[in-house]
Amino acid sequence: MGKYGFLIDASRCIDCRACLVACSVENNVPMTSTRIWIIDSGIIGEFPNLKHYTAPYHCMHCNDPSCVSACTVGALQQNEEGIITYDNEACIGCRYCMYACPFEVPHFQWDQQFALITKCDLCVSRLGEGQQEPACAATCPTDAIQFGIREDMLALAHERINNEPDRYVNHVYGEYENGGTSTFYISPIPFEQLGFPTTERTESPAEFNRVTTEKGTPIIAGSMALGMTGIYLALEHRSKKHATVQVEPTETKNDNG
Amino acid sequence: MALNVKVNSYKKLKGLPRFVYILAIFTALGMSAGLYRLVAGLGSTTNLSTVFPWGLWISFDLTTVALSGAAFTLAMLVYVFHMHELHAAVRPTVLFGLLGYSSVLVILFFDLGRWDRFWHFLVYPNLTSALFEVSWCIAIYTTILVYEFSPVILERFNNNKLMAFVEKITIPMVIAGITLSSMHQSSLGALFVIAMPRIHPLWYSIIQPEFFFTSSLAAGIATIIVGSHVSIRLFGKTLGQKTIEKLGSLMPWFLGIYLALKLGELIVTGEFGLLFTSGIFSLLYLAELTVGVMVPLVMFLMKKVRISNKLSLVGALFVIAGIVMNRFDISWFVLKPINGVTYFPSWIEIALLVGVISGILLVFSLISHFLPVFTETVSVQSSAEIDAPNLQPVQIPAGD
Repeated sequence: MGKYGFLIDASRCIDCRACLVACSVENNVPMTSTRIWIIDSGIIGEFPNLKHYTAPYHCMHCNDPSCVSACTVGALQQNEEGIITYDNEACIGCRYCMYACPFEVPHFQWDQQFALITKCDLCVSRLGEGQQEPACAATCPTDAIQFGIREDMLALAHERINNEPDRYVNHVYGEYENGGTSTFYISPIPFEQLGFPTTERTESPAEFNRVTTEKGTPIIAGSMALGMTGIYLALEHRSKKHATVQVEPTETKNDNG
Repeated sequence: MALNVKVNSYKKLKGLPRFVYILAIFTALGMSAGLYRLVAGLGSTTNLSTVFPWGLWISFDLTTVALSGAAFTLAMLVYVFHMHELHAAVRPTVLFGLLGYSSVLVILFFDLGRWDRFWHFLVYPNLTSALFEVSWCIAIYTTILVYEFSPVILERFNNNKLMAFVEKITIPMVIAGITLSSMHQSSLGALFVIAMPRIHPLWYSIIQPEFFFTSSLAAGIATIIVGSHVSIRLFGKTLGQKTIEKLGSLMPWFLGIYLALKLGELIVTGEFGLLFTSGIFSLLYLAELTVGVMVPLVMFLMKKVRISNKLSLVGALFVIAGIVMNRFDISWFVLKPINGVTYFPSWIEIALLVGVISGILLVFSLISHFLPVFTETVSVQSSAEIDAPNLQPVQIPAGD
């Protein structure tokens, strides 16, 4: 089966925050630590043409997730449906994923004595029990959040932009950013203005990470272990040779005999 | 006999220098701050945030691991490269390394959201994670440092049987230690490879691991030189002139390779121009390279510096300043703020850090007071040839 995906349309979002309430209820977390939040452009433009856009924002569920690559204890994993899951039994709260994520998604329970990471898991438990949509998508009254198969969502995004080129900027956010994601955004204003972390990069930071941890480190370790052993043996050999030259002839004979 | 040892220990305890008690007070205060943090959580006790999830503690860890690189650098020079003239520095340096790494482990414990699960890295592996690898390497390497320090304890208690065994496996253990050090020193740099979007391009590099590794070698040498001066003041013991000179002569190599890598990387990636166009960041970068690398590089190339205790101390202090700047820069100062959020540590973060640093110094003082750590070092009183600054010999009762 294919990967799941979202299409989030900033032109449809009315900032009602029903998705936050739905997330809070579904995951049984306080409203202050929901796994979805609102990105806000602020008021833009010149009077009288003032504009204000918002968009719900949550984990992008990357194709090549940096957090999964970084997590010290493998608490973050990508399943075959493209969902980045989080194992709160393994997490040690080191917060490396927060640095690794290029979309600034993982949050930390700063107010807890025993604190963990909070992150959207695409309501993976709902998906299992009878094909319900994630809570945020099911709740959204304007269909700003749509849920489906990743490829369908991507096609729908392009279709909307093509049908109404005046309504949207010609950019599907999440199609190429950081190696591509399963969450796509379309917007009436450039994503930078909307407050999204923008990047030209089309490969995931995870790729660079793997170069260093899977290639660099073994090379360094191997060459140090071999090099050090080699140098030690060579120098030891030389100093022994040096020593035997100085040894008195009678002793050398004894050694040989 | 046992009674004698007891009486001697008691006498020695009375003869402890006064700064030890001050260190003990700071350690206790810092640990109280740490306990409070464990109870109250990270949010209310630190100034860490979503934008700056790591702060002062991680910057300290990075710096301390680099400085504690002294232990593996020296082991490499003495045992692998057969520079036996440096052997006098081994015991104090290994002890410093052991305590440095221990302090890093302590601070990391306080830094974890789920500190009760600090052992999880042992059972939940993620092989692509730089932090997973660092955790393992530091854990094993700290054990090796305990091994490398064990002769001091065995000698104190005259355990010749174990001593013979320990000495037998020295070389394989040392080489394992060097390999593990090269891995985690470089992997600490790898931590900042994945944080690409946050780090200023002047500092960001895919060969960050190599930067961290080569600079830790220079930092290690500098730490030994500075350490020998500190131990004159605190313990009345220092390294011989020849040892310091030899260490100084190695410095230009490590600094030179590091400088070539740093500048070479900027040229290859086409970021050389940023050195002059990034405003405050250009200044910070140039300051870091000038103070920490170029000035000491030129200094240690001069024989006058290498044979002078005072000048080599100054040069080594430059190197250490450069390491501190580099590690704090990359983990704190040059991280891109998001939505204008910046970071400055809270008093609890500072208090815990001061406590932990005092703790290491305290344990170092106590161990070197009771165990034969400075056996091969030169007693200041008896070595007129050392051009040590005007010293008041510290009041330590002469060995039994």
